[in-house]
Amino acid sequence: MEIRPILSALLRNRTGALLVGLQVAITLAVIANAFFIIEERLAKIHRPTGIDSPGLIVAESEGYAPDYEHAATLAADLAMLKAIPGVLAVTPTNSVPLSGGGSANTYQLTPDPKAPPIGGNYFEVNSDFVEAFGLKLVAGRNFRPEEYVPVPPNNDLPPVLIVTETMAKTLFGGEPAVGRRIYDNDGKSAEIIGVVSDMHGSWLDNTNPGPYDVVFHPNGGLGKSWRYAIRVRPGERDRLIPEIEKRLNSSGHGRAIPWVRAHDYWLVRTFRADRRMVVFLSTLVILMTAVTALGIVGLATFQVNARRKQIGTRRALGARRADIVRYFLIENGMLGAGGVVIGALLAYVASSWLTRAFQMPPLPPLYVIGSAVALLVLGQLAVLWPARRAGAIDPAVATRTV
Amino acid sequence: MLGYYLRLAWLSLKRTPAITLLMIGAIALGIGATTTTLTVYHRMSTNPIAHRNDVLRAVTLDSWSPDRPWDSDRPELPPPELTYRDAVAIAAGAPASRIVAMRKTSFTADPGAGRPPFLVEARLATRDFFAMFDVPFAYGTGWGGRADQNAEPVVVLSKETNGKLFGGENSVGRALKLDGREYRVIGVLADWQPTPKFYDLNNGEYDTPEDVFLPFALGAALDLQPAGNVNCWKAETLAGVHDLFGSNCVWHQLWAELRTPAEVQRFQGWIDGYVAEQQKLGRFPRKINNRLYDVDQWLERHKVVGRDSRVLLIVSFAFLAVCVLNVVGLLLSRFLGGAGSSAIRRALGASRGEIFRQHLVEVGLVGALAGLGGLALGALGLKALEQLYSSYDRLTHLDLAMVLAAIALAVLAGLLAGLYPAWRICRVQPASYLKTQ
Repeated sequence: MEIRPILSALLRNRTGALLVGLQVAITLAVIANAFFIIEERLAKIHRPTGIDSPGLIVAESEGYAPDYEHAATLAADLAMLKAIPGVLAVTPTNSVPLSGGGSANTYQLTPDPKAPPIGGNYFEVNSDFVEAFGLKLVAGRNFRPEEYVPVPPNNDLPPVLIVTETMAKTLFGGEPAVGRRIYDNDGKSAEIIGVVSDMHGSWLDNTNPGPYDVVFHPNGGLGKSWRYAIRVRPGERDRLIPEIEKRLNSSGHGRAIPWVRAHDYWLVRTFRADRRMVVFLSTLVILMTAVTALGIVGLATFQVNARRKQIGTRRALGARRADIVRYFLIENGMLGAGGVVIGALLAYVASSWLTRAFQMPPLPPLYVIGSAVALLVLGQLAVLWPARRAGAIDPAVATRTV
Repeated sequence: MLGYYLRLAWLSLKRTPAITLLMIGAIALGIGATTTTLTVYHRMSTNPIAHRNDVLRAVTLDSWSPDRPWDSDRPELPPPELTYRDAVAIAAGAPASRIVAMRKTSFTADPGAGRPPFLVEARLATRDFFAMFDVPFAYGTGWGGRADQNAEPVVVLSKETNGKLFGGENSVGRALKLDGREYRVIGVLADWQPTPKFYDLNNGEYDTPEDVFLPFALGAALDLQPAGNVNCWKAETLAGVHDLFGSNCVWHQLWAELRTPAEVQRFQGWIDGYVAEQQKLGRFPRKINNRLYDVDQWLERHKVVGRDSRVLLIVSFAFLAVCVLNVVGLLLSRFLGGAGSSAIRRALGASRGEIFRQHLVEVGLVGALAGLGGLALGALGLKALEQLYSSYDRLTHLDLAMVLAAIALAVLAGLLAGLYPAWRICRVQPASYLKTQ
């Protein structure tokens, strides 16, 4: 209806139109991609750990004295820790879930050294690990206490293993894993005796092994540095950390206790970079949207002031307030639409760069559409105030000067 | 003339304080965001030993599995670390001005006097470490070739460790108990914080240097356990740390100092010959692929600038662009609003160029003020980032170069925003304005 006159007016003031259109375009390109990245990071931060992280304490023990006895220290520590009221279960472990440091092995389905290697993130634990990490036994059986070897003669595969559900799927597809054997590339093998619910392994972003490809070995390691995963009753964690630290420190054995920490420590550390990205990107998205909205208000105000006489004339010739307001809303809508189209193109250019440079997945159209609609609505809201001021211009303006 | 323009600009800015503040605010926000991200980016990518970049080379050999490359995304790359025997053989035989073989371990230090023992991170290195990497000493020196050969129990402390153990005084000659054994302190470092930690990017690229440094040969003599990454491709029976030394696992770093292209060539020829020799013995199942990297290339290979910092840098510049576009709009309406007075100045004899310059001075002033505001916002942003970075706090310090860059960027942004509006205003026909007066 009024599109043509509005368009021709816009074309007469190309600079202003271009300024707003470009702002909308750049803003759209950035926020569509930013929303996508934020969403991806939030999903990562909130991915399931599979363990009872709030109830988990981890302590490190480091043998240093020349007469340090690993097996005896381990047995004494386990007995002492389990006897503390409030402690539910304890397992020694070589690694801490989500800590970024751990051990990986490659396993094979056949003894042939040429068989394709399958990565597994292995945890060296005793038979209390299911309880200590807060996992569930899904199939088969747990380790028996006597199957745990605190000081193995070497690093060969232990005779029995337990895997997570995801690892079972990685190894055998949908087939049952219990009773199957897996091999190293030296021909040695181990039997899978059980499957537990998924536990997040040591690393966040690895692909082979993936985050939930975890294998449990019932033995200790070769070094003198060790950790205990200690699960405690809900709400007792913060009280128990200093107590456990004191007891371990005063027990002697010629070793040091470098730290005793809540498992939260690693969650905070591991996701710090992602949190930072979310906070920083959200801040920039908010600021950018606000600045663009201000730009729209500013330009519309300028237009209203520049066209006071014309608006007055229109009013004098019978246009209602609503007509004037609508004029500015439509004008803004047209600018926004132009900006959004260019912005969508820019968004895909940016996304394809992100895909090429950083292997990011491509931007789903929903993010572009959603951001575009949000920007168009914002534009209308931003122009409302100057448009209403235009509507309030007195028709008498038309007659006063000339 | 500049003084007069500045006075005019100041008066004009004072006339419409709201729009002036809005313009300064918009540019300041953009500058604040870019300063924050630029600082982190700049800190991450800076070569901390640029003055020795040309002579230092990280040495890598492709000793990895015959069945799969070290990095399946970049199959042409050899692993970044070496086996014990290759590191030792090359350090002992290869022709280079200087060479260092090294790795990480850890000890429990016993401070005595009833204080609890604590963990120290240690670097085992051959003697050239300190000279090659320009490591500054506060007291004493590093060790000589004899200490390397005889695995002498001597130790160099970092400044922090010396503070913790000996209250920061000159501790050269004092004894220190590590894992129950006694070592003699022969040197204490001055403050040394290379960021990123270029000499070992595989074990925490923004970590601080180790707490103590000891002769490399101690590692094999005492079977000291590894504290960095140990990567193995072959199933080998290992009955303890001792077996790692003969294994195919990679866990050592090797650097050479090669001062001329001829020296680089000779060194490359030697290690290629060495690997060919080893292949005859059945090792190195992949084809010969030995690569030398200078420090810049090494940082690039390890992608020490994370993708997040790059994305944030680009987003913040896009934000700055939006802010500048915004200010262009504001300036247009401001300048055209004040077109009357420009018309009078033109009518009184001011040239177009003078009107143009006067308005550019005005936007330059806006830019400079916005630069100061942007710096304050940037400092605030870095403070906030510090909370989110924690151990990375050395990445979030604003240095002089960044302060100057922020102000320059702000003035540039202001001028860029002002160029078109100033051009428009100087093209205004004075007559059309004078008529309506």
